[in-house]
Amino acid sequence: MTATKWALICPFFLILILHSLAIYLFTRGFLLARTELSSFSHCSDLSLSPCSIPSSSMHDFSSPGDHLPNVVGNSSGWTRPAISRLVIIIIDALRFDFVAPSSFFNEKKAWMDKLEVLQKLAAEENINSRIFKAIADPPTTSLQRLKGLTTGGLPTFIDIGNSFGAPAIVEDNLIFQLANNGKKVLMMGDDTWLQLFPHHFNESYPYPSFNVKDLDTVDNGVIKHLFPSLLKDDWDVLIAHFLGVDHAGHIFGVDSIPMIAKLEQYNTILEEVVQVLKNQCGPGDLHENTLLVVMGDHGQTLNGDHGGGTAEEVETALFAMSLGNPSTSVASALNTDYCHPDLNGKKMCIGTFQQLDFAVTMASLIAIPFPFGSIGRINPELYALAGSSFEVRNNCAETCGSHSNLDSWMMNYVNNLCLNSWQVKRYIDSYSTASVIGLPAKDLYYINTLYSEAQRSWPDIIKLAVSYENDIHIGINDNTTSALQRQVDAYSRFLASVAKLARSEWTEFNLKLMGFGLCIMLTSLSVHLFTIRRVNILCKSYYTFPGSSFSFFRVLTVIVFVAIRAVSFLSNSYILAEGRVANFLLGTSGILNLWSSFDSGTVTAEDLLFLVLTIIIRFGIESGMSKDTVGSGSLSSNSPGNIGIEKGYSLWMGLQEFLPIPALYILVILMCIYISRSSCWKCLKHFFIIGNILSYILMSVHWVLESNMIAAPEVLQYFGKTFAPRIIYSIGLLLFVLLALLVTVNKNDMFLVSKSTESLAIVTTGMLSAWSPTILILLGRQGPYVALVCVLGAWCIAKLKYAAQVDDGKGALTELISDPTPVLQWNLLAVCLFFYTGHWCTFDGIRFVAAFTGFEHFNIVQQGILLAIDTFGVSHIIPVMSLPFLVISKHQIFKKESSKGFLLVNLTQAFLMYGLITAVTTTLTIICVTIQRRHLMVWGLFAPKFVFDFIGLLLVDGLICVGSLFYY
Amino acid sequence: MKFLTMLQSSASISFSEINIVRKAALHLLCSLSLVAACWIAFRLYSWSLVTHTSETLGLLLIIQAPVVIGVYSLVRQDAQKTSYWRAVARGILGLPAGALVMAFGAIVLGAPIGSRYLKSTIYWSILMSLFTFVPPACFFGSSRVDWHRLLAHFRPKEPLDALVSLPAYGSVVGAWIGAWPMPLDWERPWQEWPICVTYGAVTGYLIGTLASSIVVLFQRPAHIKGD
Repeated sequence: MTATKWALICPFFLILILHSLAIYLFTRGFLLARTELSSFSHCSDLSLSPCSIPSSSMHDFSSPGDHLPNVVGNSSGWTRPAISRLVIIIIDALRFDFVAPSSFFNEKKAWMDKLEVLQKLAAEENINSRIFKAIADPPTTSLQRLKGLTTGGLPTFIDIGNSFGAPAIVEDNLIFQLANNGKKVLMMGDDTWLQLFPHHFNESYPYPSFNVKDLDTVDNGVIKHLFPSLLKDDWDVLIAHFLGVDHAGHIFGVDSIPMIAKLEQYNTILEEVVQVLKNQCGPGDLHENTLLVVMGDHGQTLNGDHGGGTAEEVETALFAMSLGNPSTSVASALNTDYCHPDLNGKKMCIGTFQQLDFAVTMASLIAIPFPFGSIGRINPELYALAGSSFEVRNNCAETCGSHSNLDSWMMNYVNNLCLNSWQVKRYIDSYSTASVIGLPAKDLYYINTLYSEAQRSWPDIIKLAVSYENDIHIGINDNTTSALQRQVDAYSRFLASVAKLARSEWTEFNLKLMGFGLCIMLTSLSVHLFTIRRVNILCKSYYTFPGSSFSFFRVLTVIVFVAIRAVSFLSNSYILAEGRVANFLLGTSGILNLWSSFDSGTVTAEDLLFLVLTIIIRFGIESGMSKDTVGSGSLSSNSPGNIGIEKGYSLWMGLQEFLPIPALYILVILMCIYISRSSCWKCLKHFFIIGNILSYILMSVHWVLESNMIAAPEVLQYFGKTFAPRIIYSIGLLLFVLLALLVTVNKNDMFLVSKSTESLAIVTTGMLSAWSPTILILLGRQGPYVALVCVLGAWCIAKLKYAAQVDDGKGALTELISDPTPVLQWNLLAVCLFFYTGHWCTFDGIRFVAAFTGFEHFNIVQQGILLAIDTFGVSHIIPVMSLPFLVISKHQIFKKESSKGFLLVNLTQAFLMYGLITAVTTTLTIICVTIQRRHLMVWGLFAPKFVFDFIGLLLVDGLICVGSLFYY
Repeated sequence: MKFLTMLQSSASISFSEINIVRKAALHLLCSLSLVAACWIAFRLYSWSLVTHTSETLGLLLIIQAPVVIGVYSLVRQDAQKTSYWRAVARGILGLPAGALVMAFGAIVLGAPIGSRYLKSTIYWSILMSLFTFVPPACFFGSSRVDWHRLLAHFRPKEPLDALVSLPAYGSVVGAWIGAWPMPLDWERPWQEWPICVTYGAVTGYLIGTLASSIVVLFQRPAHIKGD
């Protein structure tokens, strides 16, 4: 007997191990994770860096320092300020070919050459304005891109950090540094900025960005505030974020009239902006040292999608124009690799720019400390564009004669690059010590070598700088220039290899690992099938049935249902509507049951009750979904309304507060009846009943006191809010431990049970009564209703149509026992309950309130466990743990003594089928995620779904193992 | 579907003297009238299901209901015992009863409830009732055995069972499949309830009618021999 027992349990563990391995491998390949460091750069860090050029020499560079009237000295940053004000205009989803002249492409399309003002400026004033091809890193979604632009890092799907649920950036970033160093930042446009930086802006005019169909609200809001602000002097950095092009792309696609209209509108706006700036750029004027940057955060495909890593999505444009006086000599530093004649036949060059470099380039231009986590490099072209302005003011005409502007610019750039490399090195070092996963040691070693190589020649540069100062009249020969160039190259090599390493770690899927994981998953499915087959054969050995014992039609129905549900995950719409799809299938299976009841001639009340329950669940799911979309609508309901409404409202609220309590009592009574009916519990029965009743009383006390409707003394309130839940948790734990002890000691002796079905029923009831109070209190006031629905649903499924078939003799018995329909319904009901309880498969679908029932402070372990129980309680823990009822109800119908072995084999079948259904749907989710890994919604929708599914699968596997240990 | 097959089969039994081909033709008349109704809605009123959902459904009902009730009452099973008008009355009574069942089924499967959809839901369920419930009601009356046979056995045993059951099952399965495109984010007007479900049901009904006629015509010789 024991041998069979372990033979039945072992496959569960094998499957659990296979699934864990598969999911571990797949996740390592797919979910790129990065640890957020909470360190910040400070001005004082400068003394730690090895990059200090002797101050006198620096002074020579910067003298006469007060040529920049708007900049308060030199003190705030690590570098010397090159610009005093910065205007950043972000056009969401700006494709590269919106900006670049059509002569750069093979074919002229309708949407090209609409932003003519930028092309004209770039062509005519090619010393101080330029178009760049900006390369973004995937994921190319606005939130991730803004994060990347401001932190100078590569945000991934899971940035492990302290921002639990809120998108606010906790890493060091450009905006924080600006605010911290006394720069005033003015923001207008897309409200994503305000989510990311809730407290950093001096002033902000956010507009809601979620309505994709609205092309104009955000843009008009920006226009309204942009022009008055340009004439004011109360800001240092202005950020204006236009959304129209992104929305036009999503709705109409790129090749559409609204898109072209939007681009033409932007052309006019930009023309005016440039005009305003130019009018104010004389010496001493407002915009004397302003840099205008017009950029996209990412591109888009011709359909308007973005999120992935294709060239169309990744390539966006950046236009920069410095309003200071240009220096012709520095212009030679500009790269002239990518040049074509523009529309008017003039030669025009386009630079390349990595968005990774944005944060550090801007920080060095505006002279603030570089963000701690930035891994970009100061872009030489952009730096030359803006940085050239101060070289001229350096005005060597009288003093420095032979020094070329280029050399002094170069010297300055090398110094900045040294700081830049030091800062990146510092980040890489602290990341590899602090992070969970870390970076590969081999690559780290290579990077260290490159850095020390570059740093070795740094003293020569310092010497050069000193001699530069002293031998001011000795002509600088080519040596200097080439030494500087060599140094720049060495640093660039280091920074490039860091960026390459970071990209491979944080933006590239590891397809090999993903493939491996998928293969193991598929193998586990075949292991699953094989085990089911083996158990079926075992099952036949208990009863030998005449003829075919297989109800082919039922098995086919189940297979079709599972297949439909699994395949539906390939489309994002069905993932969004997963609850409704599960409900649809549940309803269909109910109708099929009703039909087969007609078939056998007796329609039972359960059939109809089940359909009614389906309707109830469906409304629950729909109201949960509307809660999702309405979001913070409840805030407005607090506003004082008129008295009539107020009265009705309070009555309604009161009902809502107190109705759950009677529902709870119904539940308790049901349970007590069930427990006391079984005759052989002895004193244990009382123990479980008392434990449960106590829990439920505490729960109602908790709700009453929490509602603040009854004025209670402080102590009592504290007790109700904090202690009652904690006592409930401990009672649950105590009962669980007690049950575990009983089972280990030997349940047959303890319970003196003669019938095997009854002993199984006792253990199952004990298990449920240990879990349910905790789950119920976490669910909050909806808990009792959910539990009632769950109990009724389970009862209907267990009882369905068996009564009709009892008389049919042995043929019906086999059909009944090998029938997978109830298990499928059980599974669908579990999925429906997940959505019914107000969860959905995204991270903001987690009910964070639940974590704080009974606790006020956040503790990752404690609250994590509570959240997990809340999220997976009704949909995974309860259904798996109560699966034995399904088997018991089958056996009870015959009122015949069946051997314990047969019961256990049946239970194994049920567990295996339940596990298989979950595993198949998860496998399809994995396949879907693999196929759609570059899809627009991969990070918003598919990846969270994948995370929820794999956690659910592992939980189901684990619970089945635990359950098998308890029940067998 | 099954209902329909049962109806048809019993009709064929009772009228075995009458030419079965004629019956199949009568039966095809129902689908022709459906097509004609669609055509009228489109040509005369320039309505389509997408733009004027409830109006079009109403027009289909007005044209289809007399035809279906008339035709199936004509081929009623117990022609000797019941008069033609009695069969018609049975059909008229069956119409709202079937509509209730259909509406309940649709709501179980997730049809929206609300004043916005009330009218079209009612019309839709009456139309579904015409496809599924009314033919057996005219055909069998309240004969429990016949209804049970229609429901219980998917394969029609009597030759004319298929005439009633196949179109009914076709329209139900068609409606079920027609519901699947609804959650997709294509944002097309036809994804609204009950437009695509109606398309599915009508398509299923037409296919069912055609199939049942073919089945009846091809099965005829074998059954005649058996008789």
